[in-house]
Amino acid sequence: CDLRRKLVIVFPAGDSWGIFAFLCAALWNLPAIPALNSTDEVGAGQSIQKTYDLTRYLEHQLRTLASTYLNYLGPPFNEPDFNPPRMTRAEMVPSATVDFELWRSLNDNARLAANYRAYTHLLCYLRSMDGQVAKAELRKNLGHFCTSLQGLVVSIASVMSSLGYPLPSPLGSASPTWAQGPGATSPHNDFLKKMDDFWLLKELQTWLWRSAKDFNRLKKKVPPAALMLRLEMRGF
Amino acid sequence: MWDNPSLRCLLAIAFLHLLSLIYSQETGKSTPGNWKCITHDLNRMICSWDATSSANRGLTYKICQFRAAAIKTPVSAVAGNDFECMLFFLVSFQALIPLTPQILNLSADFSTYTLYLTWNDSGSVFQHELDASCTILSRSGFNVFPINYDSKLTGKDSILFWNWTSDIPLECTSYYVKIRCYINELYFTGRKEWSEWSPVRTVPEKDTKPNSVMVFPQDKVVLVGSNVTFCCLYNEGKSVKFMKYGSESYPLLRLSKWSSAIKVQNVSASVPSGTNVWCSLVPDDVEGTVLFVGYAPDTPQNLNCETRTFITITCSWNPGRPTALYSKRRTKYILFERISRENVTCKVEELNKKHACDFPVHANQKIYNFTLSASNPLGQAESSLLIDVNQRVHLETPDKFTVSTNSSTHAHLSWYIPGNFIKIRLLCQIEISNSNSERQLQNVSMAGAENSNYRAWVDALHPYGTYTFRVRCSASEYFWKWSKWSEGKKLTTLEAPPARGPDIWRQRSPVGETVTVFWKPLLLSEANGIILSHEVVCYLRERMLKAHEVPVPLNSTEIKLGGNDCLISVIAKNRAGSSPPSRITSVDLPSDNVKTELAIATGNGIYISWHSDPNVTCGYTLKWCISSGSEPCNVDWEMFPSNAIDAVIKSALFQPGVRYNFSLYGCKHNGYQLLQNITGYMKELPPKVAPNFTVEETSSDSILVKWEDIPVEDCQGFLKGYILYFAKGEKGSSKTSFMEEGSPELTVKNITDLTKKSLRILGLQGKTSYRLDLRAYTVGGIGPSKDLYVVTKENSVGLIIAILIPVAVAVVLGVVTSILCYQKREWIKETFYPDIPNPENSKALQFQKNICEGNTALKTLEMNPCTPNSVEVVETRSTVLKIEDTEIISPVADSELPEDGSETGTGSHVVVSYCPPIIEEEISSPPIDEPVGSSQVIYIDIQSMYQPQVNPEEEPEINFVTTAGYKPQMQLPINAMKMESHSPTEEDLDKIAGYRPQANTNVWKLNSPDSPVSIQSNNENGSFGSPCSINSRQFLIPPKDYEDSPTPNNTGWSFTHFFQNKPND
Repeated sequence: CDLRRKLVIVFPAGDSWGIFAFLCAALWNLPAIPALNSTDEVGAGQSIQKTYDLTRYLEHQLRTLASTYLNYLGPPFNEPDFNPPRMTRAEMVPSATVDFELWRSLNDNARLAANYRAYTHLLCYLRSMDGQVAKAELRKNLGHFCTSLQGLVVSIASVMSSLGYPLPSPLGSASPTWAQGPGATSPHNDFLKKMDDFWLLKELQTWLWRSAKDFNRLKKKVPPAALMLRLEMRGF
Repeated sequence: MWDNPSLRCLLAIAFLHLLSLIYSQETGKSTPGNWKCITHDLNRMICSWDATSSANRGLTYKICQFRAAAIKTPVSAVAGNDFECMLFFLVSFQALIPLTPQILNLSADFSTYTLYLTWNDSGSVFQHELDASCTILSRSGFNVFPINYDSKLTGKDSILFWNWTSDIPLECTSYYVKIRCYINELYFTGRKEWSEWSPVRTVPEKDTKPNSVMVFPQDKVVLVGSNVTFCCLYNEGKSVKFMKYGSESYPLLRLSKWSSAIKVQNVSASVPSGTNVWCSLVPDDVEGTVLFVGYAPDTPQNLNCETRTFITITCSWNPGRPTALYSKRRTKYILFERISRENVTCKVEELNKKHACDFPVHANQKIYNFTLSASNPLGQAESSLLIDVNQRVHLETPDKFTVSTNSSTHAHLSWYIPGNFIKIRLLCQIEISNSNSERQLQNVSMAGAENSNYRAWVDALHPYGTYTFRVRCSASEYFWKWSKWSEGKKLTTLEAPPARGPDIWRQRSPVGETVTVFWKPLLLSEANGIILSHEVVCYLRERMLKAHEVPVPLNSTEIKLGGNDCLISVIAKNRAGSSPPSRITSVDLPSDNVKTELAIATGNGIYISWHSDPNVTCGYTLKWCISSGSEPCNVDWEMFPSNAIDAVIKSALFQPGVRYNFSLYGCKHNGYQLLQNITGYMKELPPKVAPNFTVEETSSDSILVKWEDIPVEDCQGFLKGYILYFAKGEKGSSKTSFMEEGSPELTVKNITDLTKKSLRILGLQGKTSYRLDLRAYTVGGIGPSKDLYVVTKENSVGLIIAILIPVAVAVVLGVVTSILCYQKREWIKETFYPDIPNPENSKALQFQKNICEGNTALKTLEMNPCTPNSVEVVETRSTVLKIEDTEIISPVADSELPEDGSETGTGSHVVVSYCPPIIEEEISSPPIDEPVGSSQVIYIDIQSMYQPQVNPEEEPEINFVTTAGYKPQMQLPINAMKMESHSPTEEDLDKIAGYRPQANTNVWKLNSPDSPVSIQSNNENGSFGSPCSINSRQFLIPPKDYEDSPTPNNTGWSFTHFFQNKPND
């Protein structure tokens, strides 16, 4: 699942124009903003805002997708009160169930790196899921969501680089099962695959919710760019 | 050798003898116990016995065998020391027990739920064939399944197979299998016993508790309608809460300590992701499996293979019934070609559901035998097709289609078709559509080429025509299908000179100085391009006098003749050239006595006929002019051959209801002559307006109506006449027409004489309103109406006569009556007013009675219940006394009066018969108790109404008297005197003192007005005497206050009477 190679091409056309506009606006406004003494900070603020917006958008998109997908999986996965115990083999999916206090105690870099790693693997898993879906319409929706999620991974990478953090290194052999990607473990039966899909969607939901909080916190830490720039950003 | 049954039989008998003759010989020692001999192979016998006795220690047993005739088999026991031999004779039955079968292998196919068992039948131990039977005992969980298996032992060791399919997955529980056999040897008389059970074998081999929760069968694909059993394996210490198939819960079947199952009958097709079956456990755990339920693939329908390019053959088909299986379980198609023995795996695009497969065309192969096989986990199906590729050519849509031309009638076409068609010829179809959307198809056959452009040309196109071309192609020799049409291309051919000269006509000015030449524009098909101008030339004896170049769009020109007639020639010109000339002479022949005739409207044209003229040699020309608004009219004409005598003229410009004038010219050798004028309509309509009409004259019984002509333009047809409707009717009473009303008095007059402009309507009633309605009509119908209301004059003479005659008659009657009365006054007096009236003969009384007939209040004059009494008048002079008596006794109650009267009357001399008044009511009521009671009973309302005028307490006696019935003749005048204001004279008294009618005087007031009493009476109590219906509370004659002047009332009555009677007059 070589995501890094794809990083250079994942900006959709619309985003490129948006970034271009944003850069132009930023350059134009630089002399007028005494609070900003470096372009990096401007870039970081913008990146965080963009990532936050994208996270919220993905949250919304996932809500629709999850409902359709769980219906596709059939009962009991589409039953609202279905809450199976998370078994060890469900670690195919990176878990977001980290202790809240523990999560808060981490520094920004560690949290961002965890986010980055989690989404990278969630994305890989999502792609493998895509190929097995029998419904063409649902496959299309999944593909669309994958593209958006890939955008989020790239955004997190850009936030990290703008804040001067290194991108996390690929996990070694000591990494959990999910880090080895789908298919690394013994072959599943269809029910377990469905269960994994169920957990994937659930984890995605939790991760997106937590990421939104993370980026919001980060946004407050990093001095915000000029209001005008923010408006430019929202227009993308 | 063993196959011979007789030999086998012999051997068996010999063996039996051998066994039966075993015996032991006792030599003083105890007999060996529990002696038993068995055989496993009918060949060797294994005998066993107990040697438990200590005394026998050291004994050596020797088994002796006697053959045939021997009786006992001696068993020699040889002691260790003294070598003493003892013989025991033992006789016993022996047993046949087969060897314990050995299970070689027990295996399981979990996908098909089948167990496979193999064992060795050890047949080699027997010398000959034997029937064997084995029992296989298998146990799964709590269930045991014994199965019998019959086999034949052949004298050789054989491996026997047995398989068994379970209805539940084999994973659900362990299976234990053991086997024993039995040999059924008919000739063996000993006991035949089952072998020992083989050692138990288990499947799966590790019969242990499951490590984790699992549900079986896993990811199984079954047919719709199958019955499926699912089981849930779980660790010890857990228990199943429920098991669900889809969203439905099923009852649990306990299979073993750690396995439960559900059975689902007749499963239906699953959803695309498969139907989930899951097991919920206590404590909290969930495990499941997915079942895919679908159908085996349907036979591919409508398999069709064709080539488009001769590079590949494309086969397409309809998959038939959906299998309800997706992803890796979906139907896979393989196209196999038998001749080349090649196959191709087909990819099916799920999105557009297109089922097609490409197979390469081989260079030297014409015939292809395809088999398309469809398979999925539930089965497979196939269909086949044999084709000759040359006969299945369906070309691609022609591409790069171009059209060009360099002439007025030809076009060149070019197109490209991909593919290698070197071996076949192509047939292409060119569609040519002109601007009128008329389609024409032209076929072109051409040799095929490889990825090449193809060319064709079309001719016979019309100059300056705009065409749209399309092309499609197919194989020429074996037609299979047309390709799709190429895109359409438009082309306009080049111009050519006009095909013919225009239609021309000329019209000389009235003076004859100039002639105007008209021509009609050429049709598009004749013009062959855009007409730029017309050249008009005037020739005089082949010499060109004048040439006019008239640009388009003018279609006429004026030429000055200058006194000479000439031959006019007109030529149309376009960019490509000039048309042939059209010629006409300017000569107009004189014509006389030209008649105007009417044409016949045909609805869509005008029918005109004429008389054939033998002098007409070069045809007839019918000319007309259509004017539109204020512009000068457009001259139009039509030419007919010399033999024509009629024509229907049609034109898009003709409008219904408009009059057109035509002139018919005959073409003679030296010029044109006007023959006839014709006027007509294309379609006659009803007149547009109503005729303007007025009433000229009115009398009491007639009306003179006058109208004006309708203008020609409003007639909309040839006027046929007028219709006048008239009937009685008030203005404003009804707006509807006569016809709608259907008035019964409606009179209709049809005026067909168009010269008539007035009409007198006779026989009308005087002073009556009439409604008149005049309409004009044509063949097309009746025009609108115009209403007029007229009131005829009053007939005054009749009215005067009607008044005068009754007046005159009345006057004459009056005069005659007066004269008669005067002449007969003595008789009248004698009759009506005798000095001494005779009551019996009195007409007046009868008259009175007649008048009051039916009035119950007039009881005095009631004659019927009349009991004649006699009044004897003793002395006329005693009236005064009587009066006095009356006066004295007047206060006495009136009810007693008649009795007093009768008593006093005993000494009278003159007896006068009279009828006593019937006043039962008054008599019956006791007057003393209620002095005014009687009158109150009857007239209570009258009293209440007129209380102020009448005071009963003041004048009770008067009341008594007035209300009393009979009164003595002398009493009344006194009462009258009292009542009247003036005092009567002596004469009057004398007169009055005479006879008085017995009726109440007041009653007389209701008499007819000419009654003298009523007129003269000024009685204040007149109201009481007013006639009144018992049932009514109204006076028939009002009280005095209201009738101060009775005379006017009388006159009023007579006047009304006069008018009431007038109609009768």
